[in-house]
Amino acid sequence: MKTVAFIALSVVGLGFSLSGAVGILRMPDLYSRIQCSSKTVTMGALPALVALVVGEGVLSDYASRALIIAALLLIVNPAASHALARAAYKTGEPMWPGAVRDDVAERRQRSAGARSGSGSGSDGDRPKSGGEDGGAEGRR
Amino acid sequence: MSLDQNLYATVALAEIAIGALLILRLAAGPTVSERIVALNTLSTQATLAVLFYAAAADRTVYLDVAVWLASFSYLGAIVWSRYLERGLL
Repeated sequence: MKTVAFIALSVVGLGFSLSGAVGILRMPDLYSRIQCSSKTVTMGALPALVALVVGEGVLSDYASRALIIAALLLIVNPAASHALARAAYKTGEPMWPGAVRDDVAERRQRSAGARSGSGSGSDGDRPKSGGEDGGAEGRR
Repeated sequence: MSLDQNLYATVALAEIAIGALLILRLAAGPTVSERIVALNTLSTQATLAVLFYAAAADRTVYLDVAVWLASFSYLGAIVWSRYLERGLL
């Protein structure tokens, strides 16, 4: 019974990890790859960790470490993916040519148009980050 | 009490095989950000592989390696994305 549960959970985890890895290999642009990466952690790593807990028993050393790792991954990995996607968008990483929506660009365009009317060029491109960038420039 | 050790070893080997797929993207990714995505996922797979290898080898000491990896491997992605976003601070 325990073996069956272990095998089922680890097959789910390994299947999602494999699909995430194939997605990272084959997806057309960076943002889709980031999405595959976070899917790998949520649906791939957590069932595998639960499988270890089931296999070793809840009160073992392995189970406590596996639960700690599950909590850490749940907190840390979305933060890392978010920071990476944000940095990639700000540095102008190109989207897949077939992508149909870019909500951030639309919102920026709208706010730049409402503010000055001539919100084009480098000013309208990143309206919020001007202060931060200036600070970084000053410190450099 | 615990399961057959070969099961754990099989899962660890499968995680390593998935990591090999990610190494392909790590080597081929055209931009730095794509390499970082692959590296981030690879560190998760490495954590799982170490954890299952610890269960397979029945060594509790190896668990701390996995906890350390899970705690600190994200720093690479954070630091690199800060660097890409703002330049050297």
